[in-house]
Amino acid sequence: MHDDSAIQISSRFRCVQTCLFAFSLVIASSVSAEDVRLQNSWKKNAFVSEIWEINGTDSRNNPLRRQLESPFTGDELFVRYRIHYAAESLDTPADDEGEFFVLWLDQAEGNDGSTHSGNVPNVGLHVDGEQNRFMIRFSSASQKFAGEVTGRKERLLVARLWKSRPGAQLPFDQLDLWVDPSPEELRRPHVSAASPKAISVVNWIGFSTGAKTEVEDRIRVRDLALATSWNRIMGLPSETTPTPPGKIVRTVDFDAHVVPILKDRCFGCHAGEDAEIRLDVYDEVLNRTVPFQASASTLIQAIESGKMPPDEEPSLDADQQKVLRAWVNEGVTWNEATLPTPVPDSDHWAFQPIVRPDIPVVTGKDWIRTPVDHFIAAEQERIGIEPAPEASPSVLTRRWSLDLLGLPVSGDAADPESLMDDAAFGVRWARHWLDVARWAESNGHQHNRFRPAAWRYRDWVVDAFNNNMPFDEFLRAQIAGDELAPATGDPDGRLIATGFLSAARYSGNELDKRIQRNDILVDVVNTTASAFLGLTLECAQCHSHKFDPISMRDYYRMQAFFAGGQPGNVSLSEAEASARPLADQRQAIFDQTYARLVRVRERRGLPNASLVTPSTVIKGISSADRGRFGTLERELKLFPQTWAFYAPSTARHARTVLPQEMRWPLPNAPRTLEDVECRLLLRGDVNAPGPQVYPGWPRVFGDSQPGTHPRTALADWMTGANNPLTARVWVNRIWQWHFGRGLVSTSSDFGTQGAKPSHPRLLDFLASELISHNWDSRHIHLLILNSATYRQSSQFSKHNEERDPDNLTWWRWEPRRLEAEAVRDCILAVSGQLDRKRGGPSETDSGKSVRRSLYLRQHRERLPEQQNLFDGSNAVVSCTLRRVSTSPLQPLWLMNSSFTQTAAQKMADRFEKVNEAFLECLGRQPTLEESDLLSEHTMNHGAASTMLILLNTSEFLYIP
Amino acid sequence: MTELNRRTFQAASGLGAASIALQSLLADERSDRRPHHAATARSVIFLFMSGGPSQVDTFDPKPALAELAGKDVPESIARNVPPIKRAGLKNLMASPWKFSQHGDCGQPVSELFPEVAKHVDDLCVIRSMSHRNPVHGPAECVALTGTSAADRPSLGAWSLYGLGTPNSELPGLLAMNLHTDGMQHPQAAGWGAGFLPSKYQGTVIDPVKGIRHTSMPSGISVQQRTAELDLLKQLNQRHLARVQDHSELAARIESYQTAFAMQTSAPELFEINTESASVQQAYGLDRPETALTGRGCLLARRMVERGVRFVQVRVGGWDAHGNLKGNHQKMADRTDGPVAALLADLKQSGLLESTLVVWGGEFGRTPTMEGLGNGRDHSPAAYTVWLAGGGVQGGQAIGHTDDIGYTVMDHPYRPQDLHATILHATGIDAKQLTYDHHGLIETPVGVTGGNVIPGVFA
Repeated sequence: MHDDSAIQISSRFRCVQTCLFAFSLVIASSVSAEDVRLQNSWKKNAFVSEIWEINGTDSRNNPLRRQLESPFTGDELFVRYRIHYAAESLDTPADDEGEFFVLWLDQAEGNDGSTHSGNVPNVGLHVDGEQNRFMIRFSSASQKFAGEVTGRKERLLVARLWKSRPGAQLPFDQLDLWVDPSPEELRRPHVSAASPKAISVVNWIGFSTGAKTEVEDRIRVRDLALATSWNRIMGLPSETTPTPPGKIVRTVDFDAHVVPILKDRCFGCHAGEDAEIRLDVYDEVLNRTVPFQASASTLIQAIESGKMPPDEEPSLDADQQKVLRAWVNEGVTWNEATLPTPVPDSDHWAFQPIVRPDIPVVTGKDWIRTPVDHFIAAEQERIGIEPAPEASPSVLTRRWSLDLLGLPVSGDAADPESLMDDAAFGVRWARHWLDVARWAESNGHQHNRFRPAAWRYRDWVVDAFNNNMPFDEFLRAQIAGDELAPATGDPDGRLIATGFLSAARYSGNELDKRIQRNDILVDVVNTTASAFLGLTLECAQCHSHKFDPISMRDYYRMQAFFAGGQPGNVSLSEAEASARPLADQRQAIFDQTYARLVRVRERRGLPNASLVTPSTVIKGISSADRGRFGTLERELKLFPQTWAFYAPSTARHARTVLPQEMRWPLPNAPRTLEDVECRLLLRGDVNAPGPQVYPGWPRVFGDSQPGTHPRTALADWMTGANNPLTARVWVNRIWQWHFGRGLVSTSSDFGTQGAKPSHPRLLDFLASELISHNWDSRHIHLLILNSATYRQSSQFSKHNEERDPDNLTWWRWEPRRLEAEAVRDCILAVSGQLDRKRGGPSETDSGKSVRRSLYLRQHRERLPEQQNLFDGSNAVVSCTLRRVSTSPLQPLWLMNSSFTQTAAQKMADRFEKVNEAFLECLGRQPTLEESDLLSEHTMNHGAASTMLILLNTSEFLYIP
Repeated sequence: MTELNRRTFQAASGLGAASIALQSLLADERSDRRPHHAATARSVIFLFMSGGPSQVDTFDPKPALAELAGKDVPESIARNVPPIKRAGLKNLMASPWKFSQHGDCGQPVSELFPEVAKHVDDLCVIRSMSHRNPVHGPAECVALTGTSAADRPSLGAWSLYGLGTPNSELPGLLAMNLHTDGMQHPQAAGWGAGFLPSKYQGTVIDPVKGIRHTSMPSGISVQQRTAELDLLKQLNQRHLARVQDHSELAARIESYQTAFAMQTSAPELFEINTESASVQQAYGLDRPETALTGRGCLLARRMVERGVRFVQVRVGGWDAHGNLKGNHQKMADRTDGPVAALLADLKQSGLLESTLVVWGGEFGRTPTMEGLGNGRDHSPAAYTVWLAGGGVQGGQAIGHTDDIGYTVMDHPYRPQDLHATILHATGIDAKQLTYDHHGLIETPVGVTGGNVIPGVFA
């Protein structure tokens, strides 16, 4: 039979096995009629298989029956067979009386005319109203129907016969049916039937035709197999961990049976806030149980081993133990009404409402420029700190320019407002956000395939910053853009913004689609929570902690918001109408070819026959379709599209998902996404699903109302009046990007493990300013950029250093090195090479490009060399703050690379005088002494050598 | 400022916790670069066999496979095979290679490796490595850093963070990716800094071209460069004097001196023509199949000779999905001679005593045939690595697999255990080497931990 553990069927019914094709009984019998006899069986190789063709007799008949090698009394039996009902054979009540045909599983063989009905499981088809439909039943009075039988196609029927209460003597009272199932559908039978009275042993199987089955009907069956597990019946690799059953018949009622035991025997020690281990809280019970696996649950182990209750108390009696064991095996149900999960009552600072503080009164009023300074000065005055004097105008201009544009100032002195009007502002500041969004243009992991349409999100972020998009809108578009109505005059912007979610990294070589999808959800949840809420949720993926306000269920509730969608190349609105038919045509050719290749592989007896890589499918396209397919591929690539996160069931407008190049891409199956069901995963393992969860934000923030558009609801909550985190996290990021360090130094972790704010009232002031100014980020920028705090020079003070060695009170400006991108951009700018063009597909890093670094292709983990050397963000995970490292490889690049050598030569050509170059590079005139030194060097070694030195100075590479 | 003053300040300002967190954020240098215990290895050479060499065809002989060839995996074993896609249970395939005993210890080695087999008395073979990831890229990250997420530091980065490097004129962590023509792209897990500061990241070098940007641009004399560096130093020191008290700027000035020194010593490292003809021949530089791997191995020896802390030589191509025989024979031809030459060379010069050599891939392969192609599929359920030198007790094998080499029967070890073992040799206790990653105290073995594999060291 199918494999070694499959149920053995004795020899009378041999050869019904995998795969096609055909010598029918007709041939066999005509040969045996001769006096020349053949031996028992054919010699076969892999390219043949056996099909039974069955005809009706207009009355009950059992043309094929076979005994199992030994009677089966286990708890669960799977059976499968493939059926093709010739189209011309099918009739319905409209033209005749319809059809009937079943496989039965019985304890006795019966004879040709036996009915095998009444407490006998039947798996087949029957007429239902005006249609013939696939059917299961225990008796003719209790038929359950699945999809319609059509004659055009062979169908795989898989049934599961099982006992809701295990035991050899107990009945097989449950029957599930799948028609053409996919491997992950174990827990989702297409139809189920139940009967309290049923056989308890299977000894014979056979096919029945009936009065409705005509003599000329041609019913082909093949590939019959029995097995004890889903994986075996589906031809999947075997599993060692038990899988939760599809439908649990509950024998245990939580309130009636479980709660009394817990109350009576456990809660004395294990309930209430002071208990070390709580059994009155669902999340903590889940830490100690494995749903559906009592034996693997530490709670059950402790009870059954007699460890609990402790020595001085009697053990639980056998019935009580049985109840708890069954409760776990039936999935650990819980009644929140009886034992509600306590709303975590956290006094953690970041979870408290944002209250606008009074602006502190300070003595040194002359110094104050914006309200920010009040908060800074108050702290400085408290510990006796004198702020540094204001930086010189030239330093200030250079600081603003490098900070806001990532380019040295050119031309007239500029103020923050006018610099922020320069489109280079968005190019500079988008990079900060792209770090947080772990954005890149490739898939990551092993194959790391390019995502050619990912650049649109990068451009959307640039434009959002340049247009000063309100932050709440910025957030909503990125979290829920596909669910939202398009903005006026911008039909695609919000869809493109979901590039934040789709920037998730996942393995394009993962065969297990559950793992692939779970990896994406994990990445999306972790990044969304840390980027916008400053919450690091990773740990809650595997366990809840009593002292941590975020539980494991909270984590999976967050996942459920995103479960209906996935990343993909989604067509833009202008292309939608014309792209869809072409995409459908392409998909049809692909699907046909795939189906054919799978059939061939099945015929050859290959294991995992359904695992065919897309590239193999494409190579296998028939010559008739090949040309057309190639044309479609080329045309589809040209359609405007974006790498988006798209949920077909909740999207505002249906969009076409265009092909995506990957070794094992995510399946493009909107239906699968629609009824995806979210479960808590024990230890984060997709093979260990726990109870089902529904979208919801962490309970510590109150009740959730997810509604029909889950991510819109999430975004509404994140930007809602009561959310304590979003505004704080965003203003802190702005502060950090201006000063190199946040008011909260762990800018993506506002949780209990993160740092506390150095200036909590300033943080809340800025957060409340942001909200009261309709989330106007520019308002926050200007409060900071115009502040006396920001305008300080870097002048050192021994007095201050003694009181605040780490400059936590911001008593001076700390020069900080430019990021990798700005280093390169500044060199291109001063050498007159920079191409300031914005937007469009990225350029590959050939070393020749002179565009701004933002537009160099960002291949995950394989950054352009210079970005790697200067601490660029590799987009593996969200990067909240670039570290600055100093290694000898940096000077080697700065001195010896052809990039800097070329730039130095261009500068030598560009500037007549060294002093001009000096001004351009450093934003000031050289001192007399510097001027002399540089002139002398130029005389000895040439202008290019001097230019190279300028590019290597700390002053050039640091924001002053 | 004294420690007392600082604490007084923190108490006064109410900023204690924040400032402590901040210090760890800004800390770029560790002052306590001392080993936790006496090291048995100064350097590590990791010979990473990418693609997944088959354990049952190399160092873990399974005679039962020949008897069971063509049959399914026995149920007693099948039930222990973890639920991993592509873990085939049908059609067991015998090894095409014979095993025979070698050395004084009599350890069996496949005839694939006649040269390495001569060193078996120096090898500690661990046959019971296991993890759960069957996909090359993520599995490479698991094998090298403990998780598949590719966000953790490489072992080399940890060792630089923990110990620094004895030779500041060469990068302390060098990686060579040889034969990367296959489907398995080299993962930064082999040299990346992960969440550690990027100064600890390894330098990937081309074994022929050397370290990038170490050659002087054309037309620039040493004299001119010296003048450039002198003037630059003057300008940078003036700048530092204006800013004052900025350790990063001071370190930057210093880095130019180191860079210049590196510019001198790095090209010398690659001058393998200075090696004798017999050495070059031993490494197989004169034969096309061994030339590249031989060069990598010889460079690895030259690197550790010069005090480089950690070298990874990654040889791609072991992914024998079809035609196992052809694939593994080709890979053995590529590696057997050079690896044996490296061991012999290190031993002869005494360097093997202070150099830990590690050989292994990201996973093993199934004992079953994949499809009908006479190859084997990926299998992380059991795989083999070996260690030599650096205090390792050679001539032994640790752990057992089942009769067909599919699953681990005893002494199961995870990659984290191997990592703890490698770091242990260099004097690092993997549980005590900590780094504050945004408030999460990280160690080389992560939250799941890892232990030094007992019995590895003499």
